[in-house]
Formats: sequence, structure tokens, C-alpha cells
Amino acid sequence: MINYTEILKEEKMKLFKENKVVNWHEHIWDDGSGKLNEELCDCFVEAARKAYMDVVVCSLPVSGGEPDPDTIKRKNDVIAQAMDRHPGFIKGLAFVNPGYSREAVAEIERCVNELGMIGIKLYNQYFISDPVLHPVIEKCIELDIPILEHAGKLRSLPNVQPFLSDGTHFAKVAEKYPDAVIIMAHIGGGGDWQWQLKAIADYPNIYTDISGSVYDEGIIEQTVHYLGAERVLFGTDGSFSQGIGKLLAANIPEKDKIEILNNTKFARYLERGAK
Amino acid sequence: MLIDINTYIGHWPFRQLRNNAAQGLLSLMDKYGIDMAAVSSLNAVFYKDTQEGNLELIEEIKDNKDRFIPFAVINPKYAAWEKDFRYCVEKLGMKGLELYPYYHNYDLTEPEPVELIRLAGEMNIPVHLPCAIVNVRQRHWMDTNDNLDLGQVEKLLSLCPDTDFIISNGPSHINAQQLKNASEGRRGRVYYDFASVEVFTLRSSATDFETLVKYAGIDHIVFGSVMPFQYGDPQFVRLAYAGLSEEDMEKVTSGNLKRLFRL
Repeated sequence: MINYTEILKEEKMKLFKENKVVNWHEHIWDDGSGKLNEELCDCFVEAARKAYMDVVVCSLPVSGGEPDPDTIKRKNDVIAQAMDRHPGFIKGLAFVNPGYSREAVAEIERCVNELGMIGIKLYNQYFISDPVLHPVIEKCIELDIPILEHAGKLRSLPNVQPFLSDGTHFAKVAEKYPDAVIIMAHIGGGGDWQWQLKAIADYPNIYTDISGSVYDEGIIEQTVHYLGAERVLFGTDGSFSQGIGKLLAANIPEKDKIEILNNTKFARYLERGAK
Repeated sequence: MLIDINTYIGHWPFRQLRNNAAQGLLSLMDKYGIDMAAVSSLNAVFYKDTQEGNLELIEEIKDNKDRFIPFAVINPKYAAWEKDFRYCVEKLGMKGLELYPYYHNYDLTEPEPVELIRLAGEMNIPVHLPCAIVNVRQRHWMDTNDNLDLGQVEKLLSLCPDTDFIISNGPSHINAQQLKNASEGRRGRVYYDFASVEVFTLRSSATDFETLVKYAGIDHIVFGSVMPFQYGDPQFVRLAYAGLSEEDMEKVTSGNLKRLFRL
């Protein structure tokens, strides 16, 4: 019998070791007092380097309620601290609450133009197709930055995220804003991934990342089947073993895996805000 | 040697599965270097009479008895459960009992399941309690909305002190912590897999795997792939990056299960 653990470490991980790896979905945490948790940040970076990641794009969203602009600024400042601590390795996404429309637009400008962030992160405060998002989306189109939106078609009950965007919400916004670059987050962390893929398949400006704890056999093959590798980004969202393992396991061409690891359509964003 | 505690053969009603017959599963086992796998019948989970699925499983694996360790799926709330269980062990040579209270709609601490699990203990048959088959967030609308209730398991450990348990396909690092006190002072042992346990330091300076070792002990951690539902590679990423010594690697990949199954 073969020793697959050795094969994985010595041979299969060459995919990560020998290609640029950009992780588009991760998070960095604060220490409870509004400052960067430096110890955790450093542990995280060490783990990411151990897994041969070259760039990790991080955000710090508020996952419940209606966070106010001051709270949001403090969260984004934590990301900026992490970017300063690990320049070039950690890239930042600005979290905003579209409910505070004017402040959200101003915060995007601050984070991109002053702090060097390369996109925005939205959570579940509103469906992405809600008109309240229009000023935010239009600002992102103007700045040419991507939007990473928390997403899912959750089948478990009760429904604890009533405004969680599923694939059909992304399809609607794609019709209105074909020039926006939008990532439907974590295909492996948003419940019914088959629903999600079918809903966005025909909308070329909707992308997805492979993060999430779910590593169902076939999930990567189907993602590439419906979207093409050029619309898929590598990501982990707190699940390194699963994110790495599912890409290694997938029965897709090597060139598609390399494209997912460093999506060429997103390469231009990484050049921005270099510190 | 590598032994897998958690694989399935059979039909899954809610999503197309590949490699879900004996030959397909064997091809996956060969690909990943898995020598032996504990296997149960998915059909048995969904048939009213689980015994029909158990019999199908034995027929399906009859040519590869050296590779499979069959587990019987029994519903202790269905007629003749004791007769069926004894038949599975004594006549069919099944080596384990697998229970699905969240599919068969019972509480593990009800009299019948307790009686069944005590009987398994008396017969030296380990009881496998998967926390779930698939992640409930993506369930089909006709599928169960529940996972294994760990509170019930906690009570069960004291109600059935002589029975060995395997708790798989869940957050084992959290489960082992919750069940630590209830696991002590029993004759039976409690094993955990690491199919949902992170080995990288992402949200804490200790990894989830290190937490699992702390609360379960390295002698109680086993390999479980959940194939053919899940890709195999993530388990091997974990093995490759868990930082295990050669001795501990041997325990986790085969030694602990050899001891359990007296192989």
C-alpha cells in the first residue's frame, strides 16, 4: 500500500510550493479592545506561509446587527495594522455596512485611498440585490475594486441569517451592474452549493471562492464546470486543511488549479496599495 | 497500515454520489493507501427495516472481506431490533454497531437504545455515532435538520459504561472537551476522528488538533474519511501537517483501531 501522507506532502503540495498562491478569503481578529491581536496574527501568518501561501486577503466584518460607522472604522483599522505588520503578505478588504450609505462610501474611499486596501467585504446586513447597496456598488465600479459578499443558501432551520444573499440575489445585481466585480463567498461554506452554482452560472461578473469547511466530493469539479476556472478563487475562511485538500483532490486540469490559486483576472488588484 | 473508521456503501437520496459501491470505494481506498475500512449501508439508514440494508452490504462486500469491517445499522425503535443485531454480529460477522438517532427519530437515552448499546458492550461490539452524514446547512428539504445530540451522548456514557464508542464527522476537539468528564472512570473507551479538525494555527495559538489530543488523548484518535461523500485529501493534509511523531502517527492511522477491533 502507498503512503499517501508522504505523497501529499512531498509531491502534491508542489502545486502550492511552485505556484503563486493568493488566498482571497480570510480574517484577522482584534484583541477585544479594538487593537490587532498581534500574537494570533503572527500565528496565522506562520501557518499560511507553512502552507505556501504568498498573499492572504483579509477582512474583519461584523457578522450581526447593524454596525455603526465608528465601529466599522475600528475594525478596518485593525486590518490596516495587520497589513502594516506583514506588508505585502496581508492585503486588506474594507468592511462596510451599506445601511449607512454615505458613511459607507466615505469609508471605502478612506480604506482604499489612505490605507491601501484592495476591495470591500460585505456581510449579511442586506441582500446584495437591495437598492440600498447601489451607492456602494457604484463606488466600487468607479474605483475598480472587487466586492466579496458573505453568501449562502442555508437549508438548516431556523434561518438565523434572514438577509443572507444566495445565488439568485447575485444574479439580480449582476444584471443591473455587469461591470461590478463580485465574489459570492465560500462555495464550501454557504449551504446548498449546487443551488449557488446554478444560480450564478450565466453571470460572468459573479465569481466565487472555494473556502468553507465543506469538502464534498465533486464540489470543485462542479464549480469549475459551471463557472470555469477563471471565475474561481482560492480561499480558506478559517479552514486551511479543507481548502488545500479539496483543491488537491479535485479531478480538474492542473492549469485550472494554478488559475484558481492565482486568478489572473484579479492580479491587478494585488499591485495596489503595496506597502 | 491505514484503517478508516467511516465509509459508506449505498444510495444517497439527496445528491449524486460516485464510488458508492464496493468496487468504487475500493478504488478510493487504493488511491489513498487505505488498507481496511469500516463500512456501513446508506440504504439501511433510509429503509424502514434497516436489516435489509445490512444484508445488502454483506452481499456487496463478500469478495473483499479482508478490506472491509462491516458495521450494522440498527434502529432500536423498530421491531425485532435485538434479533437483527444478534444476527448481524453472530451470523453475518459484523464488527460494529452504527446508530442514527437523528434519522430514526429517537433519543439515545430512551430504554431501547440504552438496552441495545449495553448489549453491544457485553458483546464487545463498538458503537459508532456519526455526528452527521452531510453538513446540515446544505441538507435537502426532505433530509433531517438535526445532528447528533452530544447532551444525549454525555448521559449515555454513564448509562452504558462498558461500551466502546466512536464519535465521528463532527467538531471532535469540542466534543472531546465536552465529554471528557463523562468519559473518565468507564471501562469502555471513547474514540474520535479528525474529519472536521484543523491542524493549522488559524484562530488560536493551539491548533484544534492539539486541543483534541489534550482532551481525548492520542490513544483515542482515529482516521475517518467519510468517503465517498467527501474528498480524501483533506484528511491527509491533516496527517501531513499535524506534527505527529512516528509513534503517534502509527496510533492514529491504525494502532488505535487495531486495538479496538482486536486485529
